[in-house]
Amino acid sequence: MITLTMPLMLLGALVILTFSSVFSVKYRDLGFFGAIAAILIGFAAVTLANPALIYYTGFVVIISLINLVSLKMIKSVIEGVDYGLVGLMALVTLFIFSTQDLAMVLAAFVLVSAPTYILVMVREGGANVEVGIKYITFMVLATVLFLMGALILAYTQNAFSGLLYILGYVMLVVGLSIEVGVAPLHEWVPDVFTSADPIPMSIIASLAKIVPFVIALKILISTANPLTVSITLFTAVLAAISMFTGNIGALTSKEPARILAYSTVANMGYILSCVVVIVKPEFFYFALTGALLMLFANAAGKIGFFTAIKNEGVYSPLVYLLAFSFIGLPPLMGFWGKLFILISLVKAEYIWLVAIMVLNSAISVPYYLRLARELGVGWKADLPNYICVAAVLIIFVTFWPDWFFKAMEVLAQTVSIVL
Amino acid sequence: MIDEWIVFLLLFLTPVISSVPIALAYKSKEWTDKLPYLSVLGIFVSVLMSLYILLVPTFQGQYAYAWIPNTGIEFVFMVDYLTQYMGVITALIAFFIAIYGLDYMKGDYRPSWYWFFFNLFTASMLLVVYSDNLFLLFVGWEGLGAASWGLIGHWFRDDDDIAYVGQKDRKVGPLPMHWAPSTGGWRAISTIRFGDVPMFLAIAAIWALSPTLNISEIEWESLFVSLGAAGTIILFLCLLMGLFTKSAQVPFCEWLMTAMTGPTTVSALLHSATMVAAGAFVFLKLTWYIQPWTLHEVPGLEVVYTIVLFVGLLSGLYGALSGSGMLERKVLLAASTMSSIGLMFAATAASFWVGHFAVFVGFWYMAVHAFAKASLFLVAGHLIHATHSRFLGGGREFAKKMTPAFVVTIIATTFLVGMPPLTAYWVKSGMDFVMEELHHDFGILPIALLVITSLIYAGILAKFLSLNFLKGEKPEHEHTEGGGLMKVGYVLMVSVLFVISYLFLFTSGEAHVFEEFRHEGKVMVSMVVGVSILVAYIVGLVMPRISAFSKLGTFFGDRMYLPFLNDFIMLKTGFFISRIVQDYGNRGIDGFFNTRIIPGIFGLVSEGIRSIQNGNLSRYINVVLGLVMIILIIAVTIGGVLQ
Repeated sequence: MITLTMPLMLLGALVILTFSSVFSVKYRDLGFFGAIAAILIGFAAVTLANPALIYYTGFVVIISLINLVSLKMIKSVIEGVDYGLVGLMALVTLFIFSTQDLAMVLAAFVLVSAPTYILVMVREGGANVEVGIKYITFMVLATVLFLMGALILAYTQNAFSGLLYILGYVMLVVGLSIEVGVAPLHEWVPDVFTSADPIPMSIIASLAKIVPFVIALKILISTANPLTVSITLFTAVLAAISMFTGNIGALTSKEPARILAYSTVANMGYILSCVVVIVKPEFFYFALTGALLMLFANAAGKIGFFTAIKNEGVYSPLVYLLAFSFIGLPPLMGFWGKLFILISLVKAEYIWLVAIMVLNSAISVPYYLRLARELGVGWKADLPNYICVAAVLIIFVTFWPDWFFKAMEVLAQTVSIVL
Repeated sequence: MIDEWIVFLLLFLTPVISSVPIALAYKSKEWTDKLPYLSVLGIFVSVLMSLYILLVPTFQGQYAYAWIPNTGIEFVFMVDYLTQYMGVITALIAFFIAIYGLDYMKGDYRPSWYWFFFNLFTASMLLVVYSDNLFLLFVGWEGLGAASWGLIGHWFRDDDDIAYVGQKDRKVGPLPMHWAPSTGGWRAISTIRFGDVPMFLAIAAIWALSPTLNISEIEWESLFVSLGAAGTIILFLCLLMGLFTKSAQVPFCEWLMTAMTGPTTVSALLHSATMVAAGAFVFLKLTWYIQPWTLHEVPGLEVVYTIVLFVGLLSGLYGALSGSGMLERKVLLAASTMSSIGLMFAATAASFWVGHFAVFVGFWYMAVHAFAKASLFLVAGHLIHATHSRFLGGGREFAKKMTPAFVVTIIATTFLVGMPPLTAYWVKSGMDFVMEELHHDFGILPIALLVITSLIYAGILAKFLSLNFLKGEKPEHEHTEGGGLMKVGYVLMVSVLFVISYLFLFTSGEAHVFEEFRHEGKVMVSMVVGVSILVAYIVGLVMPRISAFSKLGTFFGDRMYLPFLNDFIMLKTGFFISRIVQDYGNRGIDGFFNTRIIPGIFGLVSEGIRSIQNGNLSRYINVVLGLVMIILIIAVTIGGVLQ
């Protein structure tokens, strides 16, 4: 019964999303409310089918709703449709833990990626084509590499070949790296982050980052074999390079959007390092907890900071709290994310990566504080400030993360695909 | 019955919590005038709790609460013979002094600072007293250090000569013999830290070698045997560095003299039941559980106890001699305290040869001394208030106006020096016996040192009485009216001496210790010593200053030039080392590393990162495709090799 209900409900959500987007050309608000309705239906569908997912879906719903609301801050030429795009990304993100089918997983990757191609060009009174071209070029490259890597890895499960496995692994990780912006394949990030409109950027930097990591983890776990231990070093080196590039780049940048771009590069490095924990499956739930908390903390922080950039400043204590979360001060979410990643790396015996990550956290302190100082102004009761309040509330939810950790322990069992 | 944990919580936390409001209200004069009463009330709660612990017989024993699991670091409190009395002594003395302080500190320029640190001081000492866990004890120990720094340097503006120590414009060689409050605070904290670090290492060593850090549970004998003679001696020397610096034993006594720059209430607390007493008390506590008299075959232990015995006796003599040449009210008392603490160390150390009884002697002498010395300090503070002078002075006329102070001084001095049959006589008789017993090992040296010290000690306290109330010069200023709460403070304080007298004379005490005191008091030797002390006291009273000895007196009053150690030798050595560190360490390695290499690397990396970013898409494509190709080629190569 339930197995059938979820697809039907999701289908319903998609139908609502489509129609509301289409009719939003005439009735603009319809797109907004249609997207909200679709997201809530998707949330209900996924959570009813698997109650263990409630915390994950809860966070995703809140983040996507904030994303939706923040789009109200700009008057884009495709207003109405852009809500639909965010709604689609949110639905896919909600759904991703509920499938173990390779085709569905790969479709999800494309579905969460494609809407961003349009979103990145959104700006008031026109389209940001130059940025769009830069972004799309890299995304296409990323998607191709990711999909090919995934398929090669899937193939090795039937006819194992060490050469093919390593090729597939590397292509998948390189594809993921280009997609989310891991150095040294991050070239698009600083340009796009600085020249696109901050509001769509806040969506691309938050909601769009979750699915690629989950999919990569699913595929890599399911295809792990004795060779994984050796090739994991590649991922670890990539993660380390990304941390240093991101943090040093941010430390030596002036423009807030550029600092955020490099901060994304660094954060993606932290999260990528969770991939190395696959070599110790028994401790994988630490890595999953860390990765998801880090993704949510990054999402909340990016939403807050980009909104602040758009608004030319928000209430000072809010941006400071977001900065503290990024720096990793307890009990904010950024701290727990880093802590669980560090614990998982210790368990995986990647001590040098632990040292590098701690060092990088220290390097990041000055620029986050500088960012907070530049973007902090007095209180004003307007939309951007409320968006930031919501973002700050998110990073406080896990001030005692025991419940989240316990939920992830259950969830970690389902991170796989059937081949 | 109250739950034990509630008792402990109230005992340690109420003094601190009750002083938080005044610390927060530091800007409002209106509030800082009223809130000291709350702080005093907090200490009163501690008094009640300590009395509860003493008077409920079932309270004895060990109480453990989890702190850091699986590390041996826990909240462990021990209520035994020593702690139950010491807790009451500490809390009660702090309470009396606090009452006195309500008057004494009126109109001070930063009452918030004072009350917060005063209460923290009390709470820290209580923690030292009751904790069984060495780590927890060390927490209290450091609290004492921090609070003493805050209080000694309380008058940090250094703007009033009344708060200084020494004589203005007086120099010995290159050294000015005049110390400001801020200098006093600094000398205290620097000396104490000098000892705390080795002590911390000693605790760490015990932690590494023993499964527990609880003083009552550590297997001391097997610990010492496993360390061997040299190890045991080193361990103890490290530990004793902490105790000796805190208790101001030679040669670490200089800070105590300049600690007199703090408010008199602080000096009183510092000298009676906290701080200097802490070192001696911890030694008592350790000895109580080590039971060295049963460990004669353990190598190295005898050396340790010999060192403590003679450091104690020498400190006793040094303190008494220095005091004999001093002309400042509080500094004279400070020197006498050092002397007394030395005797406590010596008596306790003698337990190695004499047995358990010596520990009781050390402890009860500490109790008598605490109340008597606190009373004298409080009187000294009142005198300084009344005369606006920190130097000894005041004749009979003045004594008439200050009758309570005069009477309290008479009681406190006579009860403390050990003249028969007043309080200290009985415990001093015990001490005579203990030192005499050592003649098998050290001949008559210990008893001789004790007797000489006691005689000079009696003389200097008589001098304090004489020059303040009988034969001193008439003070220039006299403000003798008021000070009601001050009088209440020292009268209450000195009255406890009668209670202790009662204990000594009419009860038997644990293991019939007091009966033993009474027995020793009736022995011929003790009587002779007692009468000699009486004579010395009378001589001091009649001839408080002997001009024939004035040069010697000045030498003693200059603390035998020991200030050179703190202010010259240590200073020069410190600057020498810091110059080497600065020239070769900082500029050479650190400077080069921090100002050249690290920023250089950052600059290069940053330039590299940014140089790619020229906004040109084709260039990005080149970079990324190139990287992807290289990565794939390497992957294929490695894959081929691994296959």
